[in-house]
Amino acid sequence: MTNDLIVQKWLNSIPEAKGILKNIQESGKQCVPKIGFPTHKEEDWKLTNLKRLSNILELNINTNKETNHQIDINNLPNPGKDYFRILLKDNGNPQDKIKFPKGIEPLTDSEIEKSIGQTLEECQCHKTWPIAINNSSINQILAFKVNENNLPGIEIIIPANSKDFNSKRILIHLEDNAELNLLEVILGSESSAQSHIIEIVMGKNSKLNHGLISLGGNKKSNLLSHIATQQKENSEYSFTFIQEGWNLSRLEPRVVQTSGNAKTNLKGLQICNNNDQIATHSFVKFNGPNGELDQLQKAIANDQSHSIFNGVIEVPQIAQQTKAAQLSRNLILSKRAQIDTKPQLEIIADDVRCSHGATISQLQEEEIFYLRSRGINNESANALLLKGFCQEILKNLPCNSTYWTANFNDLIKGSE
Amino acid sequence: MTKIDSTTLLEIKDLVASVEDQQILNGVNLKIKAGEIHAIMGRNGCGKSTLSKVIAGHPAYKVISGNVLFKNQNLLELEAEERARIGIFLGFQYPIEIPGVSNLEFLRVATNSRRKEIGETELDTFEFEDLVRAKLDLVQMKPTFLERSVNEGFSGGEKKRNEILQMALLNPSVAILDETDSGLDIDALRIVASGVKKLSTKSTATILITHYQRLLNEITPDYVHIMSDGKIMQTGGPELAIELEKEGYDWLNKYEEIKGDKS
Amino acid sequence: MSNANTVDQIVSKPYKYGFTTDIETEKIDKGINEDIVRLISLKKKEPEFLLNFRLRAYSQWLKMKEPDWAELKYPKIDYQDIIYYAAPKQNQKKASLEEVDPKLLETFDKLGIPLSEQKRIANVAVDAVFDSVSIATTYKEKLAESGVIFCSISEAVSLYPELIKRYLGSVVPITDNFFAALNSAVFSDGSFVFIPKGVKCPMDLSSYFRINSGDTGQFERTLIIAEERASVSYLEGCTAPMFDTNTLHAAVVELIALDDATIKYSTVQNWYSGNEKGVGGIYNFVTKRGECRGKRSKISWSQVETGSAITWKYPSCILKGNGSVGEFYSIALTNNFQKADTGTKMIHVGSNSRSKIVSKGISAGNSNNSYRGLVQIGPQAENARNYSQCDSMLIGDKASANTYPYIKSNQPNSNIEHEASTCRISEDQLFYLQSRGIDFEEAVSMLVSGFCSDVFNELPLEFASEADKLLALKLEGSVG
Repeated sequence: MTNDLIVQKWLNSIPEAKGILKNIQESGKQCVPKIGFPTHKEEDWKLTNLKRLSNILELNINTNKETNHQIDINNLPNPGKDYFRILLKDNGNPQDKIKFPKGIEPLTDSEIEKSIGQTLEECQCHKTWPIAINNSSINQILAFKVNENNLPGIEIIIPANSKDFNSKRILIHLEDNAELNLLEVILGSESSAQSHIIEIVMGKNSKLNHGLISLGGNKKSNLLSHIATQQKENSEYSFTFIQEGWNLSRLEPRVVQTSGNAKTNLKGLQICNNNDQIATHSFVKFNGPNGELDQLQKAIANDQSHSIFNGVIEVPQIAQQTKAAQLSRNLILSKRAQIDTKPQLEIIADDVRCSHGATISQLQEEEIFYLRSRGINNESANALLLKGFCQEILKNLPCNSTYWTANFNDLIKGSE
Repeated sequence: MTKIDSTTLLEIKDLVASVEDQQILNGVNLKIKAGEIHAIMGRNGCGKSTLSKVIAGHPAYKVISGNVLFKNQNLLELEAEERARIGIFLGFQYPIEIPGVSNLEFLRVATNSRRKEIGETELDTFEFEDLVRAKLDLVQMKPTFLERSVNEGFSGGEKKRNEILQMALLNPSVAILDETDSGLDIDALRIVASGVKKLSTKSTATILITHYQRLLNEITPDYVHIMSDGKIMQTGGPELAIELEKEGYDWLNKYEEIKGDKS
Repeated sequence: MSNANTVDQIVSKPYKYGFTTDIETEKIDKGINEDIVRLISLKKKEPEFLLNFRLRAYSQWLKMKEPDWAELKYPKIDYQDIIYYAAPKQNQKKASLEEVDPKLLETFDKLGIPLSEQKRIANVAVDAVFDSVSIATTYKEKLAESGVIFCSISEAVSLYPELIKRYLGSVVPITDNFFAALNSAVFSDGSFVFIPKGVKCPMDLSSYFRINSGDTGQFERTLIIAEERASVSYLEGCTAPMFDTNTLHAAVVELIALDDATIKYSTVQNWYSGNEKGVGGIYNFVTKRGECRGKRSKISWSQVETGSAITWKYPSCILKGNGSVGEFYSIALTNNFQKADTGTKMIHVGSNSRSKIVSKGISAGNSNNSYRGLVQIGPQAENARNYSQCDSMLIGDKASANTYPYIKSNQPNSNIEHEASTCRISEDQLFYLQSRGIDFEEAVSMLVSGFCSDVFNELPLEFASEADKLLALKLEGSVG
């Protein structure tokens, strides 16, 4: 079957959405054939395993049946007072069931209709294939606004169902001066696929510490995710994201500082084992002066895995005095693994300080020797260094994330 | 086999070694007994640091010939970590920064590997913290040091003190301190020197690799060796270092010339 | 007036090589088809294998699509509106310089490349190419004494067909890319260098390319072979008159280095870049590639790119031999509406191969300067190392600089390091220099040349000063 046919068949099999999602689905369905299934000729898709991408479309859509997860989601530790947990496991409107803490309110239907897709457009990705796919199959939306600070952290857990394709959307509006800690946890399941899009609007002087832990569970699970954020002046967005255990994972953090003068921190880690293909395609644009970006992207590639990073930074003429630093650090641990990394700077403003760097290597011999000279054996030295390599990213995660990352040491192969 | 005095800890015999295909050590001989402090001096590039790396087992340094015996055991057969566990310690000239790896965890894993080797019980996190806190005073370090990554963002003095802290925890039989005095202000030098002195016992030996007399003012060595061109050219008592400081290394050249004339 | 504006103003300077030489030229009809390809081959009295090579390339070219680069927008080229062969009318190539049309010698004199016996540059052998043909090669006899062959590629085809047969198209296959295929079909002339085993070429070799006709495309072909333990330093310079139409230049350069051989290839490219409104100028679409075939062989590219309306060029190294070394040092200066998309590819195949990339891009005016590079470490390239540094400098707020470094590794025992930065001329530095009595213009030029110094150091001596002057010239002008 050609990809076009697969896409057509997939579109026909989407169960119809209800309420406000209906219109979005309709527009998405029209968009999908127009954009067409990605090809390797497109720069953005050049390295993506398109076979795996098309396999996603052969799954059932939004079946809503319970599956066993790598982590028992019905028996999670009590979040206590500091966290407010939202479990997005059923279909339907989650807003009805959630009693948000004070300072957080659900968006009304008309607010949702007004703002859905707007941040994606601002981030110049509204006409891309993964967005169109999400729009056409979306069946659940979580949307809320935050207008205070000193709130409990929000933890959103998004599990998948086995052999199922699932599309979700989250909208978060931070009003001026609001502050929030947000941790999303995405859990893959047996041969599952998830399309996850989050749109974030940050008001003036707001602050968001956003973590995303995506654990595929090494079960041939797949993830397509866009994290789109628009930042107003004096806001600070810190996004820390982890990808591990996916057959195919493509995470696209996209940030636009709508009038500059804001701060963005992106810290990513991808741990690639087995046959995984894990990718990060980031995009940061400064639509005003005095913006700052601090980006650190790390990857470990083991076995026959393939790790991809593509990091675009756009500094148009208006963005004078931008300070942007991007670093991509990669460890390749196996002869059959592959790492592709491509920092990409596009600058038109002349009074800017931008830098990027990339390294691909093994662990450093001098570091290993230092540890060994203290009596630590080779394997432990390796494990310690790999843990340290990850820790630089993990330490930035908000909320109580250690529960989710506790097993990371075992996940990093080559350390044993 | 030569009969070895029971108190001999380390014996280096005709050691020839190279790094990156360049021969640096051209036949080093040295015997070190328990309770002794040795100083090795010499110009940059004379092979001092190479000697320390070879003893510690750095994989980039290749031994071409010769032998290194530790307590009558062939050290060259052992991996770097095995050498550390049986009691060889190298204080690095430039301790490496390892971002992300917690200093506390690093120290604990290292200490336990040594304790296991010498038949002591391994310590859990809490026990270890008690132990390490007690040792911190020795080098006048604050407990916050332990929370940071290994050497990351440490000042020169802090790095060297962290080295001595490791020495205190690992309790080595032979400690080789490679230019531990370089880059230290006078206060830090005193702290480091007093730490080293407290850790030197009758049953251990210390090798100080240095350019300058000032460390030797703090720690009086039993022997001073002068290295040149990958060999030990001269051995004497503490007065040799003072003479060297006074005359400079050119004095050594003269000495070599005289020696050359004789042969 | 702010410094930025002043800098902006002074970065324009008339193109001093913009004159045309009035000489009778033999041109064939416009356009391209199989007959034209045959005609070119016939005019050059080529052996059959070469005609077949051209025909194969032509039929491949027909099937290929012109590359569509996001950053390189230009009006569509009408390939039927180009003349593929133009030569100054003179009977055959002259045996001695005395017989060469004095007008041609005068042209090269004016360009600063005197060819006549008395005036020629000491210790640099020059092959001068005018439109489609090589008109003279100096010091040929002296080179022959040490076994070095340096001649036009047309001569090499008739004198050394075996070498041509063996090496032509072996590094850049005819199907490599659209412009390489076109070049393979219609290439007119270019230089050929062969350094036999163990020979260190006694002098620098140099080719000077001059486009004279406005409607003629230039498709030169250069082939350099260094056998075992041989070494050579080769320089290339280019200029063209000012026309308000765009002229296509699609060259192919192939370098082959066998065991322990070294080739250093330096370019100063100063084709006409169009006027300050972006009208006219050369489209410089060039394929340059070297293959380090032998163990411990070394290929080093250095380039100073200041001309052309559009440059599209990635001098690359295929590091096949174990322990081979590839280097790329580049300065690209763009001004007005120029566009430069340049960089390199370092393909590590052999173990212990090393590569180093140093690229300096300076963009002024409305120009666009992109670095596009690939570093690839293959699964067999154990212990391979790469270091890249790509710096951009922006002058004025309408210029743009982009970097696209593609980095790919399949080998755990390897090390890749890439660094890049973007800056502008620092006001503090300018002020510091001015406060010491250096005038503004000179201060700017000093800072630009300081920014480029890493690359200047890699240029052959004669070229380094020329390149420095060229940059200064480009940035020179009336202040205020």
